[in-house]
Amino acid sequence: MLSKVQSPKSKVQLNDTEDLSVIEGKVLETSEIEINEAEQNNELSKKSKEHFYNSQTTIRNYLFLPFIFLTVALLGGLRLSAETSAFLFIKPPLICLIFAAILLILFLRANLIKLDGWFSESFLTLTNLANAGVLFTLFAASAQIFNSLLPESGLPFWTLAFCFFWTLWNNLFADFDVKKLLQSLGGLFGLAFVVKYLILANLTAPTSEGWFQGILQNPSKEIFTWILDLPRYSHGTGYIQFFTIAFYLIGLFLVKPEMTADKR
Amino acid sequence: MKKEHIQILGIVFATVYGIFIAWLYWAEPKNLVEVSTKAQTTFEEVTTKTQVAIGTYEVDTARFSEGLDAFQKNNFIAARDNFEKADPERRDARTQFYIAYSFYRQGFGKFTNDDTLFKKGLDQTNNVIALDKNFKSADANLQLKTPAELKNEFEEGLKITMGDFNPLKVLRERK
Repeated sequence: MLSKVQSPKSKVQLNDTEDLSVIEGKVLETSEIEINEAEQNNELSKKSKEHFYNSQTTIRNYLFLPFIFLTVALLGGLRLSAETSAFLFIKPPLICLIFAAILLILFLRANLIKLDGWFSESFLTLTNLANAGVLFTLFAASAQIFNSLLPESGLPFWTLAFCFFWTLWNNLFADFDVKKLLQSLGGLFGLAFVVKYLILANLTAPTSEGWFQGILQNPSKEIFTWILDLPRYSHGTGYIQFFTIAFYLIGLFLVKPEMTADKR
Repeated sequence: MKKEHIQILGIVFATVYGIFIAWLYWAEPKNLVEVSTKAQTTFEEVTTKTQVAIGTYEVDTARFSEGLDAFQKNNFIAARDNFEKADPERRDARTQFYIAYSFYRQGFGKFTNDDTLFKKGLDQTNNVIALDKNFKSADANLQLKTPAELKNEFEEGLKITMGDFNPLKVLRERK
């Protein structure tokens, strides 16, 4: 009995008879066979890893990111009333939509989002549609983040709105890379959060039974509340908005410039 | 799972979640219990509107019967409540006519009529005329069969005339 093992693309021929005339390919040593098998295994595991990685990227891009951004859109306008902790859903004012639009332009300029990496004629319609959906959720979340950080009314609203506008407008003409942009946004949102949910919230007088009683108990806070037209919310509001901003920044960190090829 | 499947799933998920968020900001529930009650109300409204749009809208006959029963027992508030629930879209002339009639019967007085109820009744009658100007009730217990007659009764009841001071007015009967 004779057994001849040939190169991977050639045949393996077993011949029980005595006809030994047809032989194709070269004879390989056992070590070479093992190397070939190992190479094949490596290639397979590489492919399966790549498949797993691609699948993870797709899940992150099309399921996890919309989930994060829509959760931000849900929580961004949520406040809890001071007396009963009832839900109050504050709709975003028009200026929040304008800020969100400017922010998206900023993302494009800083290459956090590459337009040709998200939309292209060469992509399937479904891919373009799915990417548009993710972009829309990002826009909604951005609008709600401003809704969360801007005071609801009065002088503080206009002051902070002006500060936001000033910063965003300046940033539009600055040279940014993605890292710097994210750091800048983190700083901007962090500062606005401190102003609204720590400083202004601490200037707001607690709910009292009457106006006169309030003046007697917290004269300075009552005056600030009246002058600055500060709404009274439950402390839970600040906690909710803290996590909302954290979710938004995590979402931005996970956004890739190109939805197909996973590069940054 | 294929990339296309995940993308479709993502679009569906984002749409449903987005609609839910938009609904929350529209309905403004105050707590989690209100979320479910408002969701139920919205679902019923959407169902009714859809029925109207596709032409399968019908009056709830059980509710209508309850309303009619209460109307005949002179329980006009309960009657109106049932009629309104039977025809939430206010599209059925017969149900709307009964609502108008209930304002007349409740507001009628031997000495003076209740002007507030009569004004509501007049508006309601105009609504019936807008729905079906040729409507005629088949109910033998109603003396005023058409919206025009009912409207005239409301208008006369709301006017202040010399006849209002006639003591014999107390002898008149509710129609």
